[in-house]
Amino acid sequence: MDVLLPPLSEGADSGTVVSIMVSEGDRIEKDQTILELENEKAIAPIPSTAAGVITKIHVSEGQTISEGSKLISVDEGGEAGDSKKETKKETAKEAPKAPPKQAPSSQQAPAAAPAPSKTAYEGQTIYDPYLDYRYDSKSGFPPPASPTIRKVAKLIGLDLARVPGSGNGGRITLEDIRNYFQHILELAESSRRQPAQEGSGESAPARKPAESIDFSQWGEVKPEKMSSTRKTIARRLQDSWNTVPHVYQFDEADISALMEMRSNYKAAYTKKEASLTLTALAIKAAANVLTQYPVFNSSLDEAKDEIVYKKYVHIGVAVDTENGLVVPVIRDADKKSVLDIALDLQALAEKARARKLTGDDMKGSSFTISNLGGIGGTHFTPIVNPPNTAILGMGRGVVKPHWTGKKFEPRTFLPLCVSYDHRVIDGADGARFIKAMVEAFEQFPESEIKLTQARKK
Amino acid sequence: MKAIETDIVVVGAGPGGYAAAFYAADKGKKVIMVEKDKRLGGVCLNRGCIPSKAYLHAAKLIEEAKESSFRGVTFGQPKIDLEKMRAWKESILDKLAGGIESISKNRKVDVMYGRGYFEDSKTLRVETKEGQKFVKFSQAIIAVGSVPALPSAFDLGNPRIMTSDQALEVEDIPEDLLIVGGGYIGMEMGTVYKTLGSKIVVVEALDTILKGADPDLIRYVKNHADKVFKEVRLNTKVLKMSTSGKKIKVSMQVGDADPIEEKYDRVLVSVGRAPNSQDLGLENTQAEMDRKGFIQVNNRLQTKDPNIYAIGDVVGGAMLAHKASREARIAVDVICGDPNAFENVIVPAVVFTDPELAWCGLTEGEAKSKGITVEVSKFPWSASGRALSFDRPDGMTKLIVEPDTDRILGLGIVGVGAGDLISEGAFAIEMGATVRDIAETIHPHPTLSETIMEAAENFYGVATHTIGKKRDH
Repeated sequence: MDVLLPPLSEGADSGTVVSIMVSEGDRIEKDQTILELENEKAIAPIPSTAAGVITKIHVSEGQTISEGSKLISVDEGGEAGDSKKETKKETAKEAPKAPPKQAPSSQQAPAAAPAPSKTAYEGQTIYDPYLDYRYDSKSGFPPPASPTIRKVAKLIGLDLARVPGSGNGGRITLEDIRNYFQHILELAESSRRQPAQEGSGESAPARKPAESIDFSQWGEVKPEKMSSTRKTIARRLQDSWNTVPHVYQFDEADISALMEMRSNYKAAYTKKEASLTLTALAIKAAANVLTQYPVFNSSLDEAKDEIVYKKYVHIGVAVDTENGLVVPVIRDADKKSVLDIALDLQALAEKARARKLTGDDMKGSSFTISNLGGIGGTHFTPIVNPPNTAILGMGRGVVKPHWTGKKFEPRTFLPLCVSYDHRVIDGADGARFIKAMVEAFEQFPESEIKLTQARKK
Repeated sequence: MKAIETDIVVVGAGPGGYAAAFYAADKGKKVIMVEKDKRLGGVCLNRGCIPSKAYLHAAKLIEEAKESSFRGVTFGQPKIDLEKMRAWKESILDKLAGGIESISKNRKVDVMYGRGYFEDSKTLRVETKEGQKFVKFSQAIIAVGSVPALPSAFDLGNPRIMTSDQALEVEDIPEDLLIVGGGYIGMEMGTVYKTLGSKIVVVEALDTILKGADPDLIRYVKNHADKVFKEVRLNTKVLKMSTSGKKIKVSMQVGDADPIEEKYDRVLVSVGRAPNSQDLGLENTQAEMDRKGFIQVNNRLQTKDPNIYAIGDVVGGAMLAHKASREARIAVDVICGDPNAFENVIVPAVVFTDPELAWCGLTEGEAKSKGITVEVSKFPWSASGRALSFDRPDGMTKLIVEPDTDRILGLGIVGVGAGDLISEGAFAIEMGATVRDIAETIHPHPTLSETIMEAAENFYGVATHTIGKKRDH
C-alpha cells in the first residue's frame, strides 16, 4: 500500500522534505517516522500509517510535497532486505527531483495503467480533488459510464479513471467530464498567472521577477539559502505590506502599579513553575480589551465581502527563535487566568525554541502581540499578521518623571503601538482601542493576578 | 497478371468479416471480401448458430406437442422427414446468405469466392474458380474463424464420428449417440438429437457441464438433461475409439474406475474449436500466432503487421459471433483513424439448451476466484406467473452486484428464453447502471423480463413476488 502525506494543519498544505529517515528495503513499523517535513514555521516528523517493507520511496530531500502526496510504498507482507540501502540514499541526495528508482520486486504496473499520467501524478505537489483522484476499481471493472460517455472520452483521449462520477453508483456523466475540464482549465490559467509560487496557494500580486545582484564585486560575501521558514515569513509579510493599508497608533501606559503587583506575586507564580511575565499580563489585558472592541478581533473576507467577528480570542505571540520569528497562539485568552496564560506561553515558547511547534500551534489567531521590550527599543511599528486586522507592539518600559499636577514622580511607561488594517478599522476606533489598552495596563485588577482559583484547563 | 487494388480486403465472410466489410464500405472505403465457402455467412450461418437454432426450433415443437397431453391437447406421434427438414434448414441459410450477398452489392463490396493466401504484407492471392487473382491492399482484416477440433486419436476417417459440422447435416437419427464434451455445442446438439429420437450419453472430462457459468444456474440444465438424456457422465475421459462393424466402440474411464467399453451408432466430438490460421500465408507477413494458432492482436485488433488486422474466433477469446461483429467495427474505426478499442465491459454468452442458460459480466464463481467481493440477488422463476403459465418454472434470474455502489456487475439467467432476456443485463452493465436503476424501471407484465426487475427489487428486500432479506435502501 502507499503511504500518503496526511492533512497537515489548517491552512498549511505543503512543506519541504528536510530529511528522510528510512530507506527502500527497510522494515517500517506503524507510527515510525518516515521523514521530517519543514512546513511554514515548524519541522514535523511524519509517521507511517502502515507497517511492512518499504518497496519504494516517492520523495526526496528538498522536495516540496503536499497533503495527499505519495511518500512511500509499503509491502505489508514483505521481507526486509538491506542490499539497496546504501545506494538509495546517495541517489536521493544527488538528484532530488529525479523520480525514485524502480521498486526491487513488487508491483509490475499493469499494462492498463498509462504510464504518462502516473508520472504527472507523482510530479504534483498540491493536493487537488480532481488531479489526485483515481477510480478505485474493486471489481476490476472500468469506471461506471455509459458507452456514449466512454466514446466521448475515447475521442478526446480522456482516461475516465480520472473523472469523479456524480451519478448513481458513481456513474460518470457528461457534466462530470465538463466539470473536470473546467477545473483543469482553471488550474492551468491560475498557474500561468502566478508562475512557480512556492508553498501554499495564497495569492500574491504579480511582481517583476527578481534580479540577482553580484555583491561580491564590492567585497567578500557569503550567500546562504533562505530556509523554508524564512521564505514563508518573507512571503507573508510581503503580502501583508502589499495588501493591508496600515495605520499606526501610539501611546504609553503607566505600568508602575502593574510592575509592583508583578514583583509581589512573582514568587507565588514561580512556585507554580510559571513565570509572571509582562507578555502574559499583556495578553490578559489585550483579551479583555478585545472583547470590548471586537473589530480588532475580526478578519476581512474579501472573497465574500464580509467582516468576520470571532467569538473567541486567540492571541498570537511573536516569539524570537534562533531559526527566526514564529507566532504560536494562546487559545481562549479571554477565558484563561493569568496563570494559565503564563503556563501556556512558557510551553509554547519552549516548543518554539526546540522547533517542535506544529502547524496547529500557530493557526487560528485572532489578534497578535509582539513584545520586543525584553530586548530594548521604544516604539516600533509592527506589521499586521493577516488574516488578523490588528497587532499590538510593545517596546521597553522606561522610567520617566511624571507630573502629577503637584510634583514629578518616577513612573514606568510602556511604549505601545497598535497597527491596524484601515480597510476594516477607522481611526477613531484605533484611538479608542489604544486608550482602552492603556487603561487596561494601568488599572490591571489585582484579582486577575491573585492565585486564588484552581487552574482551569 | 495485374493485381486488383483495394483499400481493405476482408478475408472471411462470417459475422465478423461481413460486418467489417459493410462498415468499412459505409465509411467510404473500397472493400473486397474473400470467402472460401460457396455460401457467405461463415460458420455462424452455415454450420453453427443458425442451423442449430433451426433444428432446436423443430425439436421444441416436437417436445411441446408431446408434453401437451396433460393440458388436454393431444397430438399424434410426430413423423419426421429428415430430407424435408434439411431442405427447410437450407432454405433459411440460403435466405440469410442471399441477404448478405445483396447487401454486399448495395454497399459495393466486391465478393470474391476462393481461398485467400498472403503473399506478403500488401498482397493477397485468391484461388478462385477462374484462377488466381492478386489483391493489393492497404489493410487486410483476417476474419477466417475456426473449425471444430477433432483430436487425432478420434480421427478414424469414419463418418460415424462427427463434429458439429456433420452433426448439423443430420444424415440419420442414430439410436445411440455419444457426445464427447459437455460444452454448449454438445449440450445443444444433444437436445436436438434426443428430440429426434436418439438416446444420448454425454461424457465430460470436467466435473461440470457448461463450464464458465455459475453452478446454481447450470444445475437447472443438468437436472433437465439427467431427465431426458440417457446419461450425463462427468469426470469421464474417452480413452479410445475404434470401428466395430456399423458401430463405434468407445473405451472410457469414469473417474478412477476401470475403463469400460460401449458401442454407439454415432459419436459427436465437441471438445472445442481451433483457429483457421493455417494455410493463410501468415508466415509471409509480420503477423504472429500463439502456440494454439490464435493470431495475436492488441485491443485495437492490430496484429504485429501494421497492415493486417484480425478479428473473431481466429484471435481467440470468446468464440462468439457477436464478439466478432463488435471487433469488426473497432478494427474498421482504427483503420479509418477514428479512436476506438475493444473496451466493452462484457460479452454476453448464451447456451441454447433446454432450459436456456445465459450470462453476462461477472459470474459469482469468477468473483470468488478473483477475490472480488460481490453481493448476489436471485429471483426463482417458480414465483413468475409467466413461467408458470407455460409450465416451465425451472429457471432463475440472478444479479451480481458491487457492494457499496450497488453497481450491476453481472446477470445470469437460466430458463426458457434466457438468451432473449440477457441483453437487459448487458445494457445495464455497459451503462454502469445500479440495481436501483433496474428496480425502478417498469417491466411489462406478464413477461419473463419481470424476473430481472424482481431480482433487483429482491436486492433491497422488496420484491413483490418473493421474500428476501430486508436491507437499507
